[in-house]
Amino acid sequence: MSDGAHFLFLIALLPFVGALVPGVMIRAGRTACASFTAVPTALALILLMTFAPAVLRGEVIQAEIEWLPQLGLSASFFLDGLGFLFATMILGVGLLITLYARFYLSGDDPMGQFYTYLLLFQGAMLGIVISDNILLLLIFWELTSLSSFLLIGYWKHLPEGRQGARMALAVTGSGGLAMIGGMLILGNIVGSYNLTDILAAGDLIRASDWYLPALILILLGAFTKSAQFPFHFWLPHAMAAPTPVSAYLHSATMVKAGVFLMARMWPALAGTDAWFYIVGTTGLITMVLGALIALFKDDLKALLAFSTVSHLGLLTMLLGFGTEAAAVAAVFHIINHLTFKAALFMTAGIVDHEAHTRDIKRLGGLRHLMPVTFVIGTIAALSMAGIPFFNGFLSKEMMLEEASHTKWLDSYYVVPVLATLGALLSVAYSFRFIAHVFLGPVRDDYPHKPHDPPFGMWAAPALLTVLVLLIGILPAVAEPIVTAAASAVTGADLHPHLKIWHGVTPALYMSILAILGGAVLLAIHAPLDRAWIKAPRPEAKTIFDGLVAALAAFARTITEGVHNGAISRYLAIFTVASVGLGAVAFAGGGLSERTRELLPIPPVIAVGWLMLIVATVSVVLMHRARFRALVLIGIIGLSISAGFAYLSAPDLALTQISVETVTIMLLLLALHFLPKETPRESPMGLKLRDGLIAIAAGGGVGGLVYAFLLRDIDTISDYHIANSYEGGGGTNVVNVILVDFRGYDTYGEIIVLGIAGLIIYALMQALLEGPAARRLRNVDYSQDRSRDRHPLMMVVVTRLLMPIAIMVGIYIFLRGHNQPGGGFVAGLVIAIALLMQYMASGFAWTQARQRIEYHAMIGFGVVIAGLTGAGAWVFGLPFLTSGYTYVHLPPIEEFELATAMLFDLGVFLTVLGAVMLMLYSLSRIARYAGSADVNVEAMDYDPSERQSDAEEAR
Amino acid sequence: MQPGDLSIILPELVLSIYAMAALLVGVYGGKDKLAPLLLWVTSGLFVAVALWIGFQGRGTSVAFEGMFIDDAFARFAKVTILLSAAVILLMSEGYMQRRGLLRFEYPLLIALAAVGMMMMVSAGDLIALYMGLELQSLALYVVASLRRDSVKSTEAGLKYFVLGALSSGLLLYGASLVYGFAGTTSFAGIIQAAQGETPLGLLFGLVFVIAGLAFKVSAAPFHMWTPDVYEGSPTPVTAFFATAPKVAAMGLFARVVHDAFGGVVGDWQQIVAFLSVISMFLGAVAAIGQTNIKRLMAYSSIAHMGYALMGLAAGTAFGVQAMLVYMAIYVTMNIGTFAFILAMEKDGNPVVEIASLSQYSRRDPVKALCMLVLLFSLAGVPPLVGFFGKYYVLLAAVEADLAWLAVAGVVASVIGAFYYLRIVYLMYFGADENHLDTGTSPVLWGALVASAVIMVVGVINLFGIEGVAAAAAATLVN
Repeated sequence: MSDGAHFLFLIALLPFVGALVPGVMIRAGRTACASFTAVPTALALILLMTFAPAVLRGEVIQAEIEWLPQLGLSASFFLDGLGFLFATMILGVGLLITLYARFYLSGDDPMGQFYTYLLLFQGAMLGIVISDNILLLLIFWELTSLSSFLLIGYWKHLPEGRQGARMALAVTGSGGLAMIGGMLILGNIVGSYNLTDILAAGDLIRASDWYLPALILILLGAFTKSAQFPFHFWLPHAMAAPTPVSAYLHSATMVKAGVFLMARMWPALAGTDAWFYIVGTTGLITMVLGALIALFKDDLKALLAFSTVSHLGLLTMLLGFGTEAAAVAAVFHIINHLTFKAALFMTAGIVDHEAHTRDIKRLGGLRHLMPVTFVIGTIAALSMAGIPFFNGFLSKEMMLEEASHTKWLDSYYVVPVLATLGALLSVAYSFRFIAHVFLGPVRDDYPHKPHDPPFGMWAAPALLTVLVLLIGILPAVAEPIVTAAASAVTGADLHPHLKIWHGVTPALYMSILAILGGAVLLAIHAPLDRAWIKAPRPEAKTIFDGLVAALAAFARTITEGVHNGAISRYLAIFTVASVGLGAVAFAGGGLSERTRELLPIPPVIAVGWLMLIVATVSVVLMHRARFRALVLIGIIGLSISAGFAYLSAPDLALTQISVETVTIMLLLLALHFLPKETPRESPMGLKLRDGLIAIAAGGGVGGLVYAFLLRDIDTISDYHIANSYEGGGGTNVVNVILVDFRGYDTYGEIIVLGIAGLIIYALMQALLEGPAARRLRNVDYSQDRSRDRHPLMMVVVTRLLMPIAIMVGIYIFLRGHNQPGGGFVAGLVIAIALLMQYMASGFAWTQARQRIEYHAMIGFGVVIAGLTGAGAWVFGLPFLTSGYTYVHLPPIEEFELATAMLFDLGVFLTVLGAVMLMLYSLSRIARYAGSADVNVEAMDYDPSERQSDAEEAR
Repeated sequence: MQPGDLSIILPELVLSIYAMAALLVGVYGGKDKLAPLLLWVTSGLFVAVALWIGFQGRGTSVAFEGMFIDDAFARFAKVTILLSAAVILLMSEGYMQRRGLLRFEYPLLIALAAVGMMMMVSAGDLIALYMGLELQSLALYVVASLRRDSVKSTEAGLKYFVLGALSSGLLLYGASLVYGFAGTTSFAGIIQAAQGETPLGLLFGLVFVIAGLAFKVSAAPFHMWTPDVYEGSPTPVTAFFATAPKVAAMGLFARVVHDAFGGVVGDWQQIVAFLSVISMFLGAVAAIGQTNIKRLMAYSSIAHMGYALMGLAAGTAFGVQAMLVYMAIYVTMNIGTFAFILAMEKDGNPVVEIASLSQYSRRDPVKALCMLVLLFSLAGVPPLVGFFGKYYVLLAAVEADLAWLAVAGVVASVIGAFYYLRIVYLMYFGADENHLDTGTSPVLWGALVASAVIMVVGVINLFGIEGVAAAAAATLVN
């Protein structure tokens, strides 16, 4: 890094710092504001010029500061011929625009804001051309999109301005985002994000598998920015911006960023078929199409805009050719286009400013009224047409020369013919610009009487036309910069000689043809125009809007299809996704050979299995009738319990059967207050869909289980079987797991169960205080009520069963540690015994006879379990470590006492309390609903009383 | 349990005890009158704990025999979670107060959710994972339906709960399969078992655990709850949903796949990449048609989770680092954006229609500019900080030979940019001016401006977050 290289940072920074200036200076007046805005630009330009000798010698100036090294991002800049050319253009035209805008903007426009945006844009643009890091380049790239958005939308009151701003931003911004991907891949291929490294690694890149995706993504960015077909439509719509913006962004700088990028990336990406066909063809199409549309535009700026599109296409095509001569032509044309197009835009702005219209149809004859403008405009337009002695001619000749020997697919004609056609159209619209605006008779219906503007306004375009002529007549003046830039583009040491006369070449004929044809076209423009207007043609803006609308409609379809608010659909999607993931896992997992044979199926089991199936299917079919469904669910539960018993899991069977009984009973009671039928929900189609999904999910899980059962797999059960006696002191593995190995879980579970009971109670409490209580009081049972609600037989049987059931419960509790059973089951069994009393004699009667607080029972249960667990701490053992001992109490045989049993007691109490509390809560509703006739007797019809009645009667 | 264990989870303990004690105070004390005070205290406590964790934490320590891990990764996530929760809490005060929703339970539920989230990112065991997850989820189910008199809010809560329960079930199914085949629930044990050729059972377990986690991060196709819940919940709650829980779920996701299944990256990489791709595309495409800004943010968050998952899909330390950076940036952007949304009011009533932002730049240029910055940042447009987040994950994907994923991500971001830019366009060039109220509470204004400023100033060095994230990622991936 040479000493002066640090100034590169300063150059990059100056516009951004300068962006603050106009805001400060605007109060000092418009001229002062404009002058101060020019200062940072001028300073940067001067600094840049200090590098000129070195750069023109072919040196590359580099400066770097680390930024975010891990991302590969560094603030590094470099200046070579290409960057120098662009930087000069950006700063130079920037100065001219600053001057021009001072006179162009009216007193009502917020000028400070304008200059701020302008400088921001200038800084971003400058950053692009001197970045030596592709990430940094990306950053500046998107910054130009942002600041141009602000500039284009500067005149907020114009509706087209808004539309234009949006489209420009949508198209170029998106392209920039796509470019991120391309740059990323590029950086990954090369292993560095430094542009200099990437440019040096062209062969590596072109050989990579990821070359094409990277190329396409990067070109997307370049094409959108440089308005290449099919993204060309945004540029003309952005013309609603103030003319200084159009002149700066849409002729000189921003739209050239895409071309710059292609030129910059030329050594890395160019030279392949893909590059030639994508870039070259796009450029060719854009050139012809843009020129064709330009010919028929009546808006002066639209004409220029499409002509810009066309010229950008020309540049793209040249770069696409991938030859060194083409690159030289491209670089040269960049300079020439800049000079004449910026001048033309400013001319158009002057016309608009003075005549208050840009409509060509309303103009004409201005050469008498605005002679200075006429001269400037004509010189620039002739250059655009490619007339000899104007600079446009030189580069156009080089382009035609290149085109004349370029083969496209197998044809030698496509490119030259189309290139000539483009040139021809270009001549036509250039002539039209001159003829229809300046020539012809003076009209008397201009919206505003035009005359030449003040010097300040035409000074800038005049300077540019001087350049047009200078280069046009003495092309050698541009030679050093073209040489430096073209060498930078190609990476080769080029020495082009720019001259006017190349001898009689095919290009010359093509050129002559173009000029003559253009003149003819202009002559028959009027009838052509009518035909053009009549001809159906795709309007790009309509297509863009249509695309946007289509995208929105597509989005809406997706949204409505997926998120229609129905939870059934959500569940369906969820389930399908889960099944899909399961399928993926199944496909990807290593399924070992099956090692087990299927067991024979005994007939009884088959029948039971069949019953289970029938009951399950019946539930699905009859689920709307809730009582029936409940009965069927009961059958399923019992079959499953029987299945557990058959499969040697008595523990599970016992638990399952008691849980089943309790839940069915509670559900039965709850159903009493609910509608007897579920409402009809889904139509047949949905049912079918849901059915299929359910079968897939169920089948998936079933298949998984089936697959596992057929294989010997190391599971965790061996560990528990081996350790349950030693570690937990019990032979019932399930119980030991519950109270010992996974004591924590059980402890948590009973707390949850207790809380569930309490919450049901609390909910009921809230319910019975609100409006629901009123409804309950007026509840009207649809069905006839039994006259025999508490039948004698039932009462007697439940009374008899009560002590037996309690006995069974205690037995189950005590044997739990070694045999199937335990606190959980015991609690449920006793709960069933009590439940039966409630069912037989009614709630009020039973409640009056029991004195235990269920809340307290739950609390005690949890506390006992907790204390037992904590007791282990006393012995310095972890929470819930169980101890056990054997006790011999005559006359009972020796039995084991484990602390686990105390824990089990807690479980027992909690379960019992929770179940009973739920029952209590349900009963309270019943009492509300039918409070008038709560029974106080044990049974509806007491024979003993009847007897005494009879005795009395007797 | 060792006495030292308690000191390791002291921050969580402090928060839990605070939440429970404050709940009692609330119930027996002033009830909802205390709510503003509790809100500020909770928020302050969050910040204090975040600072404590951030500055005190050193190295890696393990408590409860591997159940709970305190490492740089967990600390990074926790600090992000706590700070964002603190800011969101403060931002919600005015909104909740005006709508009569500021119950004293609200800050405490958030506190409990925060404890759950801290537990999640520190989980070293399937059981601890589930405990944290459910603690968080339960609190969130309740806050989602906080506005009990609104059908939408209640419906949101219900849907969230039903789907959440389903996903928890799926996760548990997976976890039990993992336990069954690995023989242990601890991540340290699982990673021993899950090496080389994965047994089918373990793979199934892994897949279902991922499905459950995908629900929590609202990654497509398990995202179904997101739009409805975002729309139905009170806006501050939506803001909360969009920030801290996402970080926690992502943290947990990273922990599970790396701590427990780090030996079989290939097995989950494709699945995570798949989730990432459809999340990005669904989020980007579906957002286009939205008219409600809360729903839009829902889809936006789905898409953003897709990007974060991209970092995870890389399966490398750099990928995790990218994910962490992404999440931190994402949270910051969302705080600002929601501060703006919370301030969208007309005649004192909240407005959620995007169309109402038309010409907003004229009514309040500063806020509009901040929103512009945030939206551009959300879209990932350089040079704003949002771009760096996106770039990080893209880079991680490319370096992990998932270039196709990165390209897909870029394409999705192009689509996604559209709807962010639409809002900008409306604000600056909308057809007619809509008279939204202009006044904003200082808290909201501060949050909005601060986050916008961060988006701009952060480009200097991302506030050094990448180094911290790198250290955090290094502890997770070896």
